[in-house]
Amino acid sequence: MRTTSSKRRTATLLGAAVVSFALIAGACSSDAKPAAVKATTTDAAEPAAGSDTTVAGAAETDPPVTGDTTGDTTVTDTAPPDTAVVGPPDEGTPTPGGDLVMAVEGETSSPWRPAEMVCAISCHQIARTVYDPLMLPGSDEQPHPYLASAMEPNADFTVWKITARDGVKFHDGTPFDGAAIVDNLNRGRKSILVGTVFKSVTDVSVDPADPMVAVVTVSKPWAALPFTLMGQPGYMASPTWLAASDTDDALKAKPVGTGPFVFVDYKPSEYFKAKKNPDYWNQPYPYLDNIEFRVIADGLTRRDALKTGSVDMLHTTNGEVITEFRDTADLFPSTEITFKGETSYTMFHVTQEGSPLLDKRIRCALAFASDWPTVNETVNAGVFQLANGPFSPTQTGYLADNGFPLEQDMAKAQELVAAYKAENPGALTLALATTNDETNLVLANFQKQWYEEAGIDSVTIDQIDQGQFIVTALLGNFQVFGWRNHGGLDLDQQYVWWHSSSSLPVGELALNFGRIKDPKLDALLDANRASNDAAEKKQIAEDVNTLFATECYNSWSWWTVWMVAHTPKVHGIDGGNLVLPDDAGNAISGSGIAGTFYPQTIWMDS
Amino acid sequence: MRYFGQKFVQLLIVVVAVTFTVSLALAAVPNSKERILATKGGGAITQADRTAVLESLHLNDGVVQQYGYFVKDLVTVNWGTTFGGNQSIRTSIWDGLKVSLRLMIYAQLLALAIAIPVAIAAAYRQGGLFDRISTTMSFGFLATPNYILAPVLILLFSITWKFLPSQSTDAPFFDSPWQHFRNYVMPTVVLALPLAATYMRLLRADLVNTLQSDFITTARAKGLSTNRILYGHALRPSLFSLLTAAAVNVGALVGGSIVVETAFGLNGLGRKTVEGIFRNEFRLIQITVVVLALVYVLLNFFVDIAYSWLDPRVRAARTLS
Repeated sequence: MRTTSSKRRTATLLGAAVVSFALIAGACSSDAKPAAVKATTTDAAEPAAGSDTTVAGAAETDPPVTGDTTGDTTVTDTAPPDTAVVGPPDEGTPTPGGDLVMAVEGETSSPWRPAEMVCAISCHQIARTVYDPLMLPGSDEQPHPYLASAMEPNADFTVWKITARDGVKFHDGTPFDGAAIVDNLNRGRKSILVGTVFKSVTDVSVDPADPMVAVVTVSKPWAALPFTLMGQPGYMASPTWLAASDTDDALKAKPVGTGPFVFVDYKPSEYFKAKKNPDYWNQPYPYLDNIEFRVIADGLTRRDALKTGSVDMLHTTNGEVITEFRDTADLFPSTEITFKGETSYTMFHVTQEGSPLLDKRIRCALAFASDWPTVNETVNAGVFQLANGPFSPTQTGYLADNGFPLEQDMAKAQELVAAYKAENPGALTLALATTNDETNLVLANFQKQWYEEAGIDSVTIDQIDQGQFIVTALLGNFQVFGWRNHGGLDLDQQYVWWHSSSSLPVGELALNFGRIKDPKLDALLDANRASNDAAEKKQIAEDVNTLFATECYNSWSWWTVWMVAHTPKVHGIDGGNLVLPDDAGNAISGSGIAGTFYPQTIWMDS
Repeated sequence: MRYFGQKFVQLLIVVVAVTFTVSLALAAVPNSKERILATKGGGAITQADRTAVLESLHLNDGVVQQYGYFVKDLVTVNWGTTFGGNQSIRTSIWDGLKVSLRLMIYAQLLALAIAIPVAIAAAYRQGGLFDRISTTMSFGFLATPNYILAPVLILLFSITWKFLPSQSTDAPFFDSPWQHFRNYVMPTVVLALPLAATYMRLLRADLVNTLQSDFITTARAKGLSTNRILYGHALRPSLFSLLTAAAVNVGALVGGSIVVETAFGLNGLGRKTVEGIFRNEFRLIQITVVVLALVYVLLNFFVDIAYSWLDPRVRAARTLS
């Protein structure tokens, strides 16, 4: 059976990406570059270093890419980190003009206020039209100033100075300055969700000596702070609009930023429309005159919309759709984004009182019982690479062999469950939560079958509406949960998901959904946050990877492939097309957030 | 006149009952406060915002007070914004209503345009070849669910022939009648075909009875033409069942075209309502239910009036009563 839809997608999709502060990218690249990220000078024409994105036809990696690889299609394999690097494909000279319609898979935001957005992939993609982040990842895998013009720490990384780019104005005419940064960051600090990211920030204020500079003070060294400001916490909204929308809910759906496009209209679950910002500060962007995002939740319907010309572009993680577009690359070129990508997995609530998942043997038994290779073939058309940990092959911390089982070992699973039962008599039951998406239900039924075969007496499947799925995770009201997350460049971007400071009691909103409380993990995350040494950070990330494999906090499934497919007239998808300001080179290939691109670089044949 | 007065009073009673029930329904939803707060801003809102949201819904007030506030908000069109999308509920419902009304009108017109001539032809030659063919086809349309018909049409007209968009948009008619037609034709056909089958069968059955009436025999004896007899004398008194069914379907189509709206990506009132339920948009649902109830009762009110026009015997009976 080869169903479609979104594998863990929906669940995950809404989910995982979920509150995405984050997490773009990061870290530990090969050279120990100082964390201070003042605008640097590099050769803008240089290929995107570190990218694993390869031009069609050039990829001979594992797993092999199938199908026609002509046109501007780029394919991304799941090869190990050191794969040779290729920049964005040469698609000719961009032509200004054109109206683009893109189908996105979900409706995940509004309020469109950066501090309050509950942001999955689609939300990020839309937000990038209106908002610019303070920082963006460069092809050297380090954060570079984008809307900011500089970001400099003191010697021990406890004070950061962020300089606003001169001459930039928000769409409503409000000047972008130090006060605007302060307002946005302070709103983030007060936010229930984004505030988790800024927990160690003790003060954000305008530098008395320079109104263009915001000073961020943190309670303990935070060398990796610039990575955080590449994502949602770094999106800058107009303080004028923010203040006005404080008392007018309807205004919260009409975002005002500095981005390449100006908000036009938005209808939840229907569309988001924006038009070109002719005064965009980073010329010659944007190229398009208008951009519209249409929400089409079902993967196959989205595919049909592209094939019938209803939309110009889509994104998908649906294995069947990915396979189909790989085979029709001449009609529908595509770009696959896996660089620093995310992982699909089954999340366990590991500190719930009375739960059998408190016991590592049960968690590991569930991992051993899982037969993801078979499911990947039957449900995903074999598109994805099986995952053994939270870090995909291009992320720092990836280990080819960390000890986590990639194949089913039912005997081992039964042995572990039996050992647990011997010490804990009584019924052993589990509740498995998934969305009401058909494919996710198929996956859940596979899991139920595996777990019960391993010795769990009863596994119930709870289907939860997608809209409530994230909230359920945030509140910690689950035992076993399908999820997708953990893309990014720096381990610090996972801090809020795993550190015990984000592990609040059930019923309170917390980003550490599985409520992990592990002193070893905390120590590793804290050490990484304070470190600016690439070798040390790499070792820490690998230790985290090993710890997850040992403790079985999650059961890993596969590394997600995001495909952006489009008509042949659309160009400029790859994130490497974006030239960063201040001669900082090109942005990172894959654009930093799984499944997304930079809307300002898209252009269409006239 | 007295009859219409009675009907109007009945209408008011229904409206009051619906609004009262709906106003209290929110409090009856399990964990309604928590679900609203979880929906509002994805749960990521401050305590001040939480308090403001709950106060605006008057959930802590008494039953009568809640009803009073609800009616006041309803009448003053102060419907607020959706919890999740921060959209004006008034705009949201109006947008959905426009789409649903268009679909309903187009579907009804197409269904009637198909059903009436076919039914007349079939009834006139009852048991003939055309009657048998049309009856068989109507069974076929009735037996084909719209969730089958919609993808089949998409497969043919969108994917195979690339003539129509698979996902429709609410393209304004006056901006581009052609685009409007392209976006609405498939949803309209999917809705209209089963309706046409129903209408055809109802009208055919009534016409068969009418054509056996004495006044039709008299008309024939007078030498009136067949068309005159069919359209001038037989059709009008045979429209009772058709009118009743059409009126019921107006309401059903406005709020119940969920499958078709979803299949073609049109955000009509039905789709918005169902999605609203899943998203805990209780306020949106409350207002929508009232709007749909009003549509139903008003339509039935007008249908009652139409009966008198259709058949003088009804008018006479009401006058006597």
